[in-house]
Amino acid sequence: MSGHECDDALTNLYQYLDREIEETTSSVIRAHLEDCSGCLKSFDFEARLQIVVRERLAEDVPAEFLQRLREALAREAASS
Amino acid sequence: MADSARSTNPRPDLGLSPAALYRSIVADQANFERDAMQFAPQLYSAAMRMTRNPADAEDLVQETFLKAYRAYHTFEEGTNLKAWLYRILTNTYINKYRKDSRRPSEVDLGAVEDLYLYRNIGSEESAEAARSTEERVLDGLVESDIKEAVEDLPENFRLPVLLADLAGFSYKEIADILDIPIGTVMSRLHRGRKAMEKSLWDYAVKRGLVPEGAERP
Repeated sequence: MSGHECDDALTNLYQYLDREIEETTSSVIRAHLEDCSGCLKSFDFEARLQIVVRERLAEDVPAEFLQRLREALAREAASS
Repeated sequence: MADSARSTNPRPDLGLSPAALYRSIVADQANFERDAMQFAPQLYSAAMRMTRNPADAEDLVQETFLKAYRAYHTFEEGTNLKAWLYRILTNTYINKYRKDSRRPSEVDLGAVEDLYLYRNIGSEESAEAARSTEERVLDGLVESDIKEAVEDLPENFRLPVLLADLAGFSYKEIADILDIPIGTVMSRLHRGRKAMEKSLWDYAVKRGLVPEGAERP
């Protein structure tokens, strides 16, 4: 990875992956990724990492807790 | 006059009184459980990463839901209920667990280079070897590694990372939830993610997911 096109792509990596980028910049990056396998590989890795992070951050919510939460809301509704 | 007003007004005249119209715009408390309970599991996930333990996470989510229920008549129907709930969750967390200040503690992170995890993996000899190490790392980092990497972030970085990477909010939504400018959201989110990559590399080394000698001195 070298050159200012690579630097520009890297600067915008998260905004690109988060789809928080203007279409003009996005298409410049897309064109660069088609030409530059180094950047493409790094973008691909970061995209896969984001998926892994999202999947493994989630927590199983205890069913008993959801039940307690419903009961607390019912008590609140009854008292108001 | 009345005719022209009717012809330019796209809203159908349902013959509702002003009070009935008002009720149709703001949310009805009776619908709170139906509308909001679907978000309870993901709010619990976020609360776990904020408080780091199940008892506090349950307290935090319950308090959030009770506050939201009481304030539901102020929620404008059709707007972003998920963001509204996360805003209450986040503010409740900050107020409850950081009594000394309303805003999260402002801690800085040291500079972390871009693509920290990727570049360390790629420092191996062949592209093929690097590719298989990538797979091994992405598969082998277990839930507790990822959770701890997020939990270890200072609060002002952890909250944007949770709101983006766990809850899937846009930068603008995160800015609204946390009451900070969108530029601040971006810089904290990006730096927080880089810091996470550094922790994840350390976990990958600890778990033996990268070849011997790949560790940096």
